[in-house]
Amino acid sequence: MLKLDPIWQPDSQQKQFRLLLEAMSRPGECYAIATIPEDGSVALSVLATLLDAEVSLADPDDLLRIEDWPMLQAKPELSEQADYILCDGAHPPDFIPKIGTLACPEQSATLLLVVEELGQAINSQSALKMKLTGPGIAASSILSISGLNPEWLSVREDWIDSFPLGVDWILVDKARITALPRTTKVELL
Amino acid sequence: MTMDMIERTKWLAALTAIPSAELMLLTEELSKGWEIKPMSVPQSGLGMLKLNDTAFAEPFYMGEFPVASAWLKITTPDGHTAEGAAQVMDDRIEVAEAHALCDAILSGHLPGHDRVLTMVEKGLAIREETRLERKRILAHTQVDFSLLDDVGDEKGVPNA
Repeated sequence: MLKLDPIWQPDSQQKQFRLLLEAMSRPGECYAIATIPEDGSVALSVLATLLDAEVSLADPDDLLRIEDWPMLQAKPELSEQADYILCDGAHPPDFIPKIGTLACPEQSATLLLVVEELGQAINSQSALKMKLTGPGIAASSILSISGLNPEWLSVREDWIDSFPLGVDWILVDKARITALPRTTKVELL
Repeated sequence: MTMDMIERTKWLAALTAIPSAELMLLTEELSKGWEIKPMSVPQSGLGMLKLNDTAFAEPFYMGEFPVASAWLKITTPDGHTAEGAAQVMDDRIEVAEAHALCDAILSGHLPGHDRVLTMVEKGLAIREETRLERKRILAHTQVDFSLLDDVGDEKGVPNA
């Protein structure tokens, strides 16, 4: 009777979850998003897969619509205390997320950054080109991101400095996704 | 009876007394051509009933029960909108959706609300009948302890 966008349906969410696992396992690799929402942002598709009523979400840049909140069920929270933070990558960060504790490093924030374009090679002068190394990457890989304020990479260094404490990043553009877990070393080229 | 005379909190309880197939048939007929948008993800699953034991007042789970919920918004072709929601003890999302539709139709005075109101009245009558039946059964099981006074104690001496 009710017509639900596929991003809210279990089979699509399972595919999307599998994709997120793959992205987290292969940092810097770009994957096409499994289900693009009919209405709303691509980031919503990722949030729909990850969130439920047990977790909290911050949306400091107001990227979500009011009607998205009850669908996601997550509790609204300040960026400093939220389990998930949705941000516009073009704006520099003005908060310090949860980085967990030594006893519970998993109780840290996952950041979902919306950027203009992701890829191995982007023809844009403003794109940040970076070399990635770490677990899940054979030797090294190259990632280019357009629409990401360089300040993000600088604060990320501070946030992941005390491993295993830190934050994990998921980046999305209009159709693709990549992940930068806390174990990935990023070197700007 | 008008729906203003029946509190909104009683609509769902009344409608759950109606066979769900009958209700779903009605909502399917009434909602033809309407735009129905979910406001939250309709869900079905198991609810847990938590109670405190009377000896130590410690919480325990008495058992599980099926529960389904829906919250939706209707927009009719002539632009009228109304929101409705329902949480029912049933494992079918469609049943929760049908109840949420009825809630929206009644609250928004949408076309067909008179037919839904008839269902509510019918449901209330069924509930009242059930209540009276239970009351009758309860009355039959009542024990008059004052009769024990006439029997007396263990030695057969009547109580003072």
